[in-house]
This record gives sequence, C-alpha cells and structure tokens, in this order.
Amino acid sequence: MSTAQWLLMLHITGAFFLVSGSVTAGVLNVLAWRAERPSESALLLRLIKVTVIVIGIGIASTLIFGLWLWHELGFGIGTWWIWASLALWVIASALGGRGGKHQAQTRKLAEQLAAAGDTMTDELRALLRDRRSNALSWLAGVATIAILVLMIWKPA
Amino acid sequence: MTAYSRPFWPLFLHVLGAMTLVGAILTVVIVSWVAWRRPDLVVLRRAAWTTLLVVALPSYIVMRGAGQWIYSKEGFSGKNDPTWLGVGFGVADAGLLLLLITLGVAYWWRSGGKPLAGRIVAGLSSVYLVLLAIAWLAMSGKWG
Repeated sequence: MSTAQWLLMLHITGAFFLVSGSVTAGVLNVLAWRAERPSESALLLRLIKVTVIVIGIGIASTLIFGLWLWHELGFGIGTWWIWASLALWVIASALGGRGGKHQAQTRKLAEQLAAAGDTMTDELRALLRDRRSNALSWLAGVATIAILVLMIWKPA
Repeated sequence: MTAYSRPFWPLFLHVLGAMTLVGAILTVVIVSWVAWRRPDLVVLRRAAWTTLLVVALPSYIVMRGAGQWIYSKEGFSGKNDPTWLGVGFGVADAGLLLLLITLGVAYWWRSGGKPLAGRIVAGLSSVYLVLLAIAWLAMSGKWG
C-alpha cells in the first residue's frame, strides 16, 4: 500500500468513527426521549458518553489524516471544497458540543428524579424534547453529512 | 452533482448506509453489553430490538443495494475482482445472515426477557461490528 492509500484508509476510518458515533448518540438520544421513567432516560443519556470518545477520535483523525492527505495528494491551497469541508467540520463540532451540554444537563435532572421516586415530570419531558437543543444536534448531523457529500463528490 | 461524479449517488449511499449500519450495530453492542450486568433493565432490550429493526436493517439494505449498483456501473465481472471487493461482498452477504439471526435473538430477548438471549445478542453484534470494521478497512485501503 502506498502512503496515500494508508492515509486514505485512516482518514475514512476516522470518518466511520465520527459518523457512526454520531448515529449511536442520535439513536440513544431518541430512545431517551421515548423512555417512560427518568432512570431509563438517565441510563440511555449516560451511554452517550461512550460515543463521545468514539466521536472525539473521529473528529481528530479526520482532521489530521485529512490535512496530511491534502498535502500528499497535491491538492492546491485554493481547493474550495476542502475549505468548505473544514468550515463544516468546525460548525459540526461546535453544534455537537452545544447539543452535548444540553444532554448533560438533562441527564443530571433525570438522575435526580430517578433517585427521588423515579417519576417522569413535565420539566424532564420538556428538556428531553427541547426543540432548540435537539435542532442543534440534528444540524451537526446535517453538517457532517454535507462533509461526506463534498468528500465523495470532490467538485473540480 | 452527477456531472462531476464518477458514480456519486451509489457511492454516497453505499458509504452513508455503511456508516449508519456501523452506528446501529455499535448501539446494539453498547446496550447489550450493559445489559449483561443489568439483565433486569427492559429499556435495554427494547433499545436493541428497535435499533436493529428501525436503523440497522434499512441501512443494510441501502448499503448493499448501492454496493451492487456501483458493482454493475464499474463493470466488474466476477473474474479477477480485487481482494477488497471480495472482502466487502463476503462481509456484506455473511453479515446479512448474522444481522437476521441477531434480529431474531433480539426479538426473543425483548419478548421473553431471557438474559441468555441478551448475551447472545452481545456476542453476535460484537462479531458483526468487527467484521464491518475489517470490510471498511479493506475497501478504503483497497487491499489487494
């Protein structure tokens, strides 16, 4: 295998970590909305912490091996789709981070309620289904898919 | 978009389907291993079953269908196909069997609540996740 093939394999592996970790976080989040008891929501939201590690590895490795590939494959400094991908990478990371903070806040309340009778309240339900915070997470997903589009499309 | 691409849509759908499938199987791996220690938690059984049915199976269909679309567009014949392609098809086809068996056991786990069923789901989904990782490494590194 050539250096470029190794780098591409590692870059794509990073993308698998990033997208798959995001899918897992999204699935667990949706399952947490639908849970009947705070203890169930708390457990599912706690499991999202595992995916944060996976997503973090993906974020770092897509950037490192992506920049290395940029140099190795000799794309010009003005290659707009790479710059657009980098901008989307920053946007996706920032939006995902904001969504994650909201999930952490929701998890704390769910854990408190689970310890105090395990009864669902309107406050927890509202936090779980908060439109603004969930929209941030979904927009992070859309930005990640847009990066995938650019990487596969590679517009001239 | 099509004008710039070799096969944009089939490749995009293949990759997106594969990444979503890996995410779904990772979810099942996580919940089923947690359930190994906490077999009393109904929410984990439901999570495994729902994820396999609603996310893993549809994304498998997208991944495999788009893979076949690329195969026919790129003019492979089955003779002297590269190793990475064989690995990809091997994992995809054996993986369908594994996925369907896992789905069946997950249904048994969800409806019966037997801890053994949860442990089988944990084992099968972990094996499947490893196979999927081998496939993505082989295909992205163009082994052979």
